[in-house]
Amino acid sequence: MTITAENLENRHDSKTDGQLGMELVANMPEITKARIQNSGVENAQNNLPHLNRGQSLKALRDVSIAEGDSALVVSAGPSIRRTNVAEKLLASNYKGAIIATESSMLYCLRHGIVPDLVVTLDPHATRIVRWFGDPNLTEADLRADDYFSRQDMDISFSDELRANEQIIELLEKYGKQIRIALSSSSSKKVVQRALECDMDIYWWNPMYDDPGEKDSVTKQLYGMNKLPCVNAGGNVGSACWMMSHAVLGKKHVAVTGMDFGYYAETPYRNTQYYKEALALVGEENLGSLYIRLFNPHLQQWFYTDPAYMWYRTSFLEMAAEADCITYNCTEGGTLFGDNIAFITLEQFLTGQRTAIQQ
Amino acid sequence: MTELLKGNFSTKETVEDTETETTLEQRFEKEALKKLGGSIAFVSKQKVMWDDDDDKKD
Repeated sequence: MTITAENLENRHDSKTDGQLGMELVANMPEITKARIQNSGVENAQNNLPHLNRGQSLKALRDVSIAEGDSALVVSAGPSIRRTNVAEKLLASNYKGAIIATESSMLYCLRHGIVPDLVVTLDPHATRIVRWFGDPNLTEADLRADDYFSRQDMDISFSDELRANEQIIELLEKYGKQIRIALSSSSSKKVVQRALECDMDIYWWNPMYDDPGEKDSVTKQLYGMNKLPCVNAGGNVGSACWMMSHAVLGKKHVAVTGMDFGYYAETPYRNTQYYKEALALVGEENLGSLYIRLFNPHLQQWFYTDPAYMWYRTSFLEMAAEADCITYNCTEGGTLFGDNIAFITLEQFLTGQRTAIQQ
Repeated sequence: MTELLKGNFSTKETVEDTETETTLEQRFEKEALKKLGGSIAFVSKQKVMWDDDDDKKD
């Protein structure tokens, strides 16, 4: 069933926990496409003059990144602080590749960890640049958009102006050392920051559809910029995981901070789509939109929203077909199931990968 | 509808406005729906990387 504003009203009486949320999961690709595709393709056109300031992602296939056949993905979910990912990583002798989402770049750099590869994907015109530091950020901008301050993502971002200054300083220092997989869909501001910081740029296209299909947008995009097209899995964390094995050829890929959800005690207000959820169903029916999941490995409840639930479902499907073994070392969240080994980060870092709990 | 259709002719049959008025709440919800979703819409179980040279890893 397609969820529209017209029939949503009739769903409000359905207060079953998570029921409306589950119905919305099926609509996430369509909703995302409507919001993302045009801006992504438009950004790709605008980015054509900058392609010569970097290389194609193809070039990364020929680069030997870090030692061995393992990669660790650092995403920016709430667990990275609670489980002290950076401290554990620094205390270990891990020599494999570290792949970070742009959203976890501040977290990594603040701890002195320079990722081997940073990935960015989302075409949003003003939000994504915040992970790179926005030199033009004003208090008025912050008042207009509380997306970062409201969320349980990176506590340092709640002090937003200070965090903005800090990431600018850190990228001034480390930018040249950072390889970045820069999506052609990236906004003008993000591209500008990657150029200003002299990052080592590798351009790529996210797949918008199956390139084998007639009138494929992906194929047209490729015709325009000749960049390799990567199945990004719906979000930047999944794109990091995808690049770890499909581009860098790593055979053991662990993910951290990949919560795809929230701790049970997190107030709804601190979730990414709270305002939209409120507008859709009202305060009294929020329970119908959020989906609760019991993590059997941790014996703990978490909850998630339709977008994260879609990421989770997609990730589990992709992991089943991937040319690597996937380890979830998030130690929290909703990403568990067949084809993913749910182990601790310490187990992965110390090579105890056989201690797989499925 | 009668406010909008003004002309120098009359229709043979009575025309009724069957379009349901969209309420403010519905418009609000529609706008909210537009803001949901992820960073990219397409997800493939099997196709991971593609360029024109090859369809490798399909």
